[in-house]
Amino acid sequence: MLNETALQEIQELKIRYPERESALLPALYIAQREFGWLSNEALLHVANVLNLPEAKVRGTASFYSMFKDKPAGRNIVQLCTNISCMIAGSDGLVNFLQTRYGMKPDETTPDGRFSLILMECIGACGTAPAMLVNTDFHENLTEQNIGEILETYK
Amino acid sequence: MISLIINGKEIDLDTPMSVLDAARQAGIKIPTLCHHEVLKPYGGCRLCVVEVERMPKLQNACQLMAADGMVITTESEEISEVRRSILEFLLINHPLDCPYCDKAGECELQDLVNMYGPTVGRYKEEKRKVPGSHKDVILARNMERCVVCTRCVRMCRDIQGASAISMVGRGNRTKMAPFSAESFNCEYCGNCLTVCPVGAILSRLYMHSFRPWQIDEEVDTICSYCGVGCSLSVQMRDDSIKRVVPKIGAGLNRGLLCARGRFGYEYMASSDRLTVPLVKNNGKHEESTWSEAIHIVAERLAEIKSRDGGSAIGGIASARCSNEDNYIFQKFIRMACGSNNIDSLSRIGFAAAQKYFEDLLGQGITANIIDGLKNSEVIFVLGGDPTAINPVLGLSIREAAMNGSKIFTLGYARGLDRFTALQIDVPVFKEADLLEELVVSVFTAKGVRGEKLDVDNGIRIISEKLSGYYDVNGFNEMKNSLLGSSSVSIVFGPDLVQRTDGHRSIFAVAGLTYLLEARLYLLSERPNEQGLIDMGCVPDMLPGGRPVDIHDFRSKFDLLWNGTVPAEDGLTLLEMMESMKRNEIKALYIMGDNPVFNLPDRPLVTEALEALDFLVVQDLYLSETAEMADVVFPATGWTETSGTYTNLERRIQLQKKAVHVTAGMDDWKIISDLSCKMGYHMSYSDAEDIMNEIAEVSPLYRDLSYREISRGNCLWPYHGEPLRGKINELPSIAESEDTYEADFYLAPDKPLFHSGTLSRMSPSLNRISPEPALKMSDEAADKLGLGEGDRVTFSTSLGSGEARVSIDYAIRDNKVLFSNNFRDNGVYGLLNYKMDRITKAPGIEGCEVSIKKMQEH
Amino acid sequence: METVLLKNIDNPKSADIDEYLKAGGYRGLSKAVTLEPADIIEEVSKSGLKGRGGAGFPTAMKWRFAATDPKFPKYLICNADEGEPGTFKDRPILEKNPHLLLEGMAISAIALGSEQGYIYLRGEYPDARDILEASIRQANDRGYLGDDILGKGLTFNIHVHQGAGAYICGEETALIESIEGKRGQPRSKPPFPVNQGAWEMPTIVNNVETLANIPYIIEIGGDAYSGIGSEDCPGPKLFCVSGSVNRPGVYELPMGTSLREIIHDHAGGIKNGRTLKAVIPGGLSTPVLPAESIDCRMDFISMQGVGSMLGSGAVIVMDDSICMVSVTYRAMKFFEHESCGKCVPCREGTDWLRKVLERVENGKGREGDVDLLLYISGTMTGRTFCPLGDGAAGVVQAMIKHFRTEFEEHISEKKCTYKSIN
Ligand SMILES: Cc1cc2nc3c(=O)[nH]c(=O)nc-3n(C[C@H](O)[C@H](O)[C@H](O)COP(=O)(O)O)c2cc1C
Ligand code: SF4
Ligand code: FES
Repeated sequence: MLNETALQEIQELKIRYPERESALLPALYIAQREFGWLSNEALLHVANVLNLPEAKVRGTASFYSMFKDKPAGRNIVQLCTNISCMIAGSDGLVNFLQTRYGMKPDETTPDGRFSLILMECIGACGTAPAMLVNTDFHENLTEQNIGEILETYK
Repeated sequence: MISLIINGKEIDLDTPMSVLDAARQAGIKIPTLCHHEVLKPYGGCRLCVVEVERMPKLQNACQLMAADGMVITTESEEISEVRRSILEFLLINHPLDCPYCDKAGECELQDLVNMYGPTVGRYKEEKRKVPGSHKDVILARNMERCVVCTRCVRMCRDIQGASAISMVGRGNRTKMAPFSAESFNCEYCGNCLTVCPVGAILSRLYMHSFRPWQIDEEVDTICSYCGVGCSLSVQMRDDSIKRVVPKIGAGLNRGLLCARGRFGYEYMASSDRLTVPLVKNNGKHEESTWSEAIHIVAERLAEIKSRDGGSAIGGIASARCSNEDNYIFQKFIRMACGSNNIDSLSRIGFAAAQKYFEDLLGQGITANIIDGLKNSEVIFVLGGDPTAINPVLGLSIREAAMNGSKIFTLGYARGLDRFTALQIDVPVFKEADLLEELVVSVFTAKGVRGEKLDVDNGIRIISEKLSGYYDVNGFNEMKNSLLGSSSVSIVFGPDLVQRTDGHRSIFAVAGLTYLLEARLYLLSERPNEQGLIDMGCVPDMLPGGRPVDIHDFRSKFDLLWNGTVPAEDGLTLLEMMESMKRNEIKALYIMGDNPVFNLPDRPLVTEALEALDFLVVQDLYLSETAEMADVVFPATGWTETSGTYTNLERRIQLQKKAVHVTAGMDDWKIISDLSCKMGYHMSYSDAEDIMNEIAEVSPLYRDLSYREISRGNCLWPYHGEPLRGKINELPSIAESEDTYEADFYLAPDKPLFHSGTLSRMSPSLNRISPEPALKMSDEAADKLGLGEGDRVTFSTSLGSGEARVSIDYAIRDNKVLFSNNFRDNGVYGLLNYKMDRITKAPGIEGCEVSIKKMQEH
Repeated sequence: METVLLKNIDNPKSADIDEYLKAGGYRGLSKAVTLEPADIIEEVSKSGLKGRGGAGFPTAMKWRFAATDPKFPKYLICNADEGEPGTFKDRPILEKNPHLLLEGMAISAIALGSEQGYIYLRGEYPDARDILEASIRQANDRGYLGDDILGKGLTFNIHVHQGAGAYICGEETALIESIEGKRGQPRSKPPFPVNQGAWEMPTIVNNVETLANIPYIIEIGGDAYSGIGSEDCPGPKLFCVSGSVNRPGVYELPMGTSLREIIHDHAGGIKNGRTLKAVIPGGLSTPVLPAESIDCRMDFISMQGVGSMLGSGAVIVMDDSICMVSVTYRAMKFFEHESCGKCVPCREGTDWLRKVLERVENGKGREGDVDLLLYISGTMTGRTFCPLGDGAAGVVQAMIKHFRTEFEEHISEKKCTYKSIN
């Protein structure tokens, strides 16, 4: 179940827009925050709160790559691999994460600590390669500092 | 006016439209895949490209608006090349399984590839794997074949208003899916099947059982389930029905169908059909011959007539039978049996409301075109869920809502849940109070109209007793919307008729209709409820709405029918039951209905039928009622016989014979044979012959012929003054100050997937909805400690039933709903009633029910 | 040139409203509330401002369409989706100079008669979201936004609406669908958003940088502004440089600065002493330019002249160690991933192109593959629903045009000759 605060937040979202359907993306963010990912149950809750057809809610959610359709680890490592980061060596980092931490793209480490997602451009090309861990930006990555950074996420 | 040239042809347009539509109108075909004429342009497939003079790039015809002076070419080497490459793109990931795919032969992709030529297979990679699903009971999804035209999703969302499926994923990972990804769990209208251009969505009803080109006959007819009467085509191979398909753009449904219409056709081929007449001997049915059975019936009826008089015989007609059947039936009861005791089960809803509305406002007041609903600014829906009772009519309401009309609902209307501006909640069974308040406040605002003095007076009488202050959430909003709109429609369902004071609601709604100049629609559960009234299958009216008790009309019919029409009004349905119990009516003839199961208070009905000396039933199956009959005649049904039906908007349509009949006889034929045996001569060569007579005797069907009816659009709104004399009865303010304090009340549910007891003979509908459910609000379930799917027994003072619990968020009071479709497990039998003294409908409100959870083993 | 868009951003507290005010912020708005809406539009018209979101559409013209549409309410949407790979120019405004954007939005709202604005912010900028929301609260508290702007009885409220990882939602009609809670697929035009946009009402969608130019235009006047940079598309422009340069970053320079100046003077030239091989001048969707072309001026018209586009001004610099096939392949993975799936040429074309490029890159290419790539991209060109598919095709075509031999070598040698990249 979505807790009272979450429900309250969604109710408040509704009045930001002329139509309640528009609150769908922000509501999905809230549901993802609460459930960790968008399970059927989470989608149903959102559909009910906003009184939207369930299939439509799934249709919208599934279009956006930041909405997750499977459980994720405690920390989500979103490493950019687009051109500027690639030029700056992101492919090497992907290999490094795999050999050093056992992290594979689109998978969660067995201890549940990290999920690795290879991202399209995250807007940090000037400080490439870069990644977002959860909601924190980390830029100018190297094989040395990426390890230190990941150590701070348990 | 817009003038343009397409392929050298000059085209003039009165209304703005796309180049594609303009071309099609002129008979020029432009290939499309994502476009479908019932849907809005989408522009996804890019096959409809055309050259437009002075435009640099090729343009998409589906989205380009035709403009004055345009010069367009729809076929050229370049265009073909583009189309060929688009098709190549589509084929790279499309499986080449045409030999196996049911769609082959009517696949739009296949046709297009044939037309624009195959391409060299330059694609060497593996084809995309997209999981499909074959877990649904009706619809198979083969998502590898999907061309992502999204027609199904747009149909489901924009036309059906169900939004049960969606495109899921993005880019080339996009596919169509229902929420659960497996079972569709939808309204099963199957309209997605209609629009899927390829074999991505297929029906399991006929999977791998034929090829489209093996269809050897196609008959255009109408659906047999409800009072809408949708047009459809029955496709056959070797005299057996292979499938039912809609015809895009045709009929009042313009190509849409509901689950019953599309998937409910199998009942005709049920092995439970009666094949020979049955005669009861020592309490047991024995097979008989037609001549013997007819002989017995003729003899017994004649005997009772001569002994006890015609009024000792009663007849129950059927809203499932055609106008011709019903016309013959009442003529038989009146002329051969000498009785006006003719009614039908329509009395418990449609017919009762219809009569009182017409008494108040004049004949034809409910003759409004369904299509007009979508142009209403405000629609007030009460007494039932149109999307379940008359699904395709319900779609017009949804369409109106999607175009910005305001929908108000009073009472349960789940299918409109997401489309309503406001659902009005009143204390349980107190709707009439609200409606009287509403009509009085509209009256106060609008003043006397002075056209129907009876109605003006009636409202004035009510107003004297009201407080003028009404505290129901949304009351004022609704009132103001109604007053502020120049096009109001009112959609009235059976629930509010089935009240002891049902006439109060009807009167108030009549008042609103009159004051607001609203269009009134009466929901109609069965296909010929209106026709049956028109044919005179009511105790007080001859065909054409001519009152029995007016001498002039009677003598006209005496002449036409060559005999004497009994002078006195007959008894209505419930009055007949009472009369049978008192042993006054001694013989009952039932054509195509099942009162034991379909009427309230089963013990009472059983007792009444048991008291009879003689009971005859004509039916397709050995129904609960037929089991009690002394003689049972097997009848023919839908697709086996021709006849006309008059739908709720009073459109007269032809239902056509399609299959060869192996058992049973047409209803009218059984009766006319019988009539002859009884000495009243009837001789008709076929149903058309009967219609010719109807056209002669009925002012409502004057000059109507099968030829004209086949052309469609035979609508007969007849705005005469009431033909039935003055209304003597006006409603009075709440006679009973009944209070409703029980925990739960039992009330009928009208489900979408079933209709009467016919649908239970349709395996596919049974697969969609295999067992009845006891529907209740989540609050009620909480209170009872029940969860979705729990098994319960529930009982009233008359008996008990068993079902699974289904929690329904659209129920907002303490009613629990149960349907009346499954054998020996229906709601009506459990409800006791008090008759409304004006409409003669059964008041079934306030029936207390207790619910107990069963142990699962 | 004084900086306008990046003004003050070295100040660690630049996002705070007090710092912004100290540096002269909200002067444009204070002036705007005394002007007639039509006069504001007239100033913007005189300035010659063209949209910075990529298409370069004249801003005043767009505003005028929406302002003259009789329907109400009207909506103003700031496009902060910044999804074009290589682009990171809006981020400093959003994170370091948010009030400049809010001020710009408030002024345009007055010009349009809009009372409700949204910032469609890409999901990948979580910090920006917090900063914007805090800034909106501050501006509301100080009366620069809200229900009575500067005591003049004007209303304008802003909400941040977060995207969720879909590049196509940067396209304005897809963005509108997304704000409406739908799958972000482009709508057909016409009707244009200025007449029938969000919730079917007149809607303006402007890029962050575009809106950030507004306060300055109002402050110094359209005529003065039009004197900056290129004549036919004047003003300051943010160029974000990434790739093989010594000093990647965002540079605010006059529109029309040459690529050579941007790369060599501002971004410090090519890294590791290598030589320049190619430049993608305006974000990944713009056609690549070979090193010889870098003398051209970076503005909408000049870039068209050399067969590319200014796009978002995202300059991706590639040195001679970089394999063009792998860049093309990576680009196509992006387009395939981001294709919304609506139209056949883009949905199927990007899939097919990616598959062919994959095998060429992996040394499994076949003879004829280069022509096949040209055939597929040729089929896509001009046939897709929105510019995404066109862009994808254009990238392949430009790469083959300038670096065909590299593709052919991959096929004949059956391997990538540039493994140094990783
Ligand atoms: C595929 C695609 C992606 C786009 N992405 C963005 C974007 O991320 N940010 C942006 O401001 N404009 C983007 N645009 C351009 C917008 O459609 C629109 O032109 C712009 O927001 C208008 O703002 P402007 O007039 O201020 O430039 C994109 C266009 C396309 C076709
Ligand atoms: S709406 Fe009625 S007539 Fe039409 S298909 Fe359904 S059941 Fe048949
Ligand atoms: S029919 Fe026009 S694009 Fe599909």
